[in-house]
Amino acid sequence: MNTQPSKNFNGSEPEPIILVRGLTKHYGNLIAVDNITFSVIKGETFGILGPNGAGKTTALEMIEGLKQMTSGEINLDGLDVHTHAREVKSRIGVQLQASSFFDGLNLKELLITFASLYGRTADPMELLKKVELDDKAKSKVKELSGGQKQRLSIAVGLVNDPKVLFLDEPTTGLDPQARRNMWDLITQIKRQGKTIVLTTHYMEEAEVLCDRVAIMDHAKIISLDTPFNLLRNSGVESTITFRADKMCPVEHFASLPAVEKAVKEDHGFRLISTNPEETLPALFLHQGDCQFKLFDLQLRQATLEDVFLKLTGRKLRE
Amino acid sequence: MNTTFTLTRSSIKMFLRNKQSLFFTLFMPVMIMVIFGFIGFDNVPKIDMGIVANNPNQPTQQFIDQLKQISAFHVTTGTLDNERNALQKGERAIVIEIPDNLIPSLAAGQGQPAPQLTKQTITVLQNVGQQQQAQTATTILSQMLDKTTLAISQAPDLFEIKTEDINARNVKYIDFLLPGILAMAIMQMSVFSVAFVFADYKEKGILRRLLATPMKPYQFVTANVITRLLIALAQTAILIALGVLLLKAHVIGSYFLILLIAILGGIMFLGLGFTISGIAKTVDSVPAIANLIVFPMLFLSGIFFPTSAMPNWLQHVVQYLPLTYFANAMREVMANGAGLLDIWKDLVWMGGWSVMLITLAIFTFGFEQKRA
Repeated sequence: MNTQPSKNFNGSEPEPIILVRGLTKHYGNLIAVDNITFSVIKGETFGILGPNGAGKTTALEMIEGLKQMTSGEINLDGLDVHTHAREVKSRIGVQLQASSFFDGLNLKELLITFASLYGRTADPMELLKKVELDDKAKSKVKELSGGQKQRLSIAVGLVNDPKVLFLDEPTTGLDPQARRNMWDLITQIKRQGKTIVLTTHYMEEAEVLCDRVAIMDHAKIISLDTPFNLLRNSGVESTITFRADKMCPVEHFASLPAVEKAVKEDHGFRLISTNPEETLPALFLHQGDCQFKLFDLQLRQATLEDVFLKLTGRKLRE
Repeated sequence: MNTTFTLTRSSIKMFLRNKQSLFFTLFMPVMIMVIFGFIGFDNVPKIDMGIVANNPNQPTQQFIDQLKQISAFHVTTGTLDNERNALQKGERAIVIEIPDNLIPSLAAGQGQPAPQLTKQTITVLQNVGQQQQAQTATTILSQMLDKTTLAISQAPDLFEIKTEDINARNVKYIDFLLPGILAMAIMQMSVFSVAFVFADYKEKGILRRLLATPMKPYQFVTANVITRLLIALAQTAILIALGVLLLKAHVIGSYFLILLIAILGGIMFLGLGFTISGIAKTVDSVPAIANLIVFPMLFLSGIFFPTSAMPNWLQHVVQYLPLTYFANAMREVMANGAGLLDIWKDLVWMGGWSVMLITLAIFTFGFEQKRA
């Protein structure tokens, strides 16, 4: 398991902004977070992926200084979170799962109020523009849609120009359109060089947004790597299906590189490959050998969903 | 400081935009004051008297007319059956059956000896439920009969009562009511606006969201307390202005002292409000808990009528209620012009209640939903 990334995106030495060591949380007999260790690199988007109840939110809230840890050590931007909670809070921005805001204030007033909590003044219109809510500056929170509320929540999280932005399930409960919008927004924030730590139980979200992903299950981190490495090293197979205009013995396909299994089906063939990048070129070459033409070629690649299933033996959303 | 200032400004905006809290803070107390003020309990109710006389002779009729002119009586006449029925229904305190020849006609001219008199009997039916009124009426009746006896027997008057009208500054009911309503309004505002709003903030996770910022919790609490104390001062000004202008109330005490009492009462009941929002697990349980505490005080603390009207044992209990001290101090200053020296005991008790309630609030109130 590769917990320390070897290289940053631009090739410079990776500079961790968050160091978590042996972080543990007990509620009575229940162990919510069990001795997890990882680090987050400055400028990366780090995802914590796992099913409901895996301990993602508890872990996140301990790092944010919102929850007391039972044991362990957290260092954020050079500060011990346990002893410098208030200073840490002033350097981070958070979006809590299901947090709501004052009903009596409009969005502009709300951002001014929150800026004052950091002892700052902010430009509310610029923040609202950033999350595409500038036309709602005079609206109340209750007049916003679910997606708009989440975007507001991110604007509030950015009110102190934080070094790290924490997002707890930023797209849970959103419709697909709103989820896409949210991904665009997070990508934009990421491009501005902010470090982002997010939790999610959507595999696709982790694949799209995250530079590295920690997979959490039953209070533990069971795997941590880039989405690419997680897929490649997991040993989860991809499936290639196609039809041929002329017959070719199924044994030929079974002997192609990286093919684990080849099956003749009613209207074609199905190959299980551990590495489709090796299998596919060989398959195209084989057309010449056996004088047939491929059509209806389909590749279903492994997803993090499959990785999770392989690692835990369970589906992610059960 | 800047944080607390901005928070206070936001919190005032939120308070003024909340229609529900404005209703409880201003509209309801004003409404109650106006209604009770216009009813006015200054006039003592009249004694309902029924008179039964079938066919009275002329002097007897004059006697009846005299009775009717007495301002303490509200007189109706009717048959015995009707009046007896009315009394049984509680509509009369007393029914008097007057014989037709109660007072003999003095047909004879002056200087004639008094005619032969026979003793006449007046039958009086008294309503046991209104014994006090009935007895008063009977006393007045017998005095009138005594006077008539003397007149008929031509005895000289030996006594005379000389009356003189003096304009006195009597404490009217509105002067009693206004300080009470003011104390009630500040209590309602302090308890309900805090209990509801903070239980709501807690339930929605707003307080938790605030904890994720470097703000110190006391800053947020302070901003909300300042907001509500300013509202208490506004309530005081508005209710007094309406009471004086609309209902002709008199305020003769020091305005500085009135504002001081308003602030102290506000602090005391804010402590109660925070305690209730600490105890309440959900917003829905706030009205039940708050009303259980606040509602009895409304009627037991001498807001609408003096506690001296209560049975003795109850007076001993209710004198210790926080609202009793609050309303008392307010009333002594506003209606009687009391100074600090006259009300210091009330203020000390209010201070004691404040310390107790704030201590309770510190133990019960937290920014986070308590884990089960």
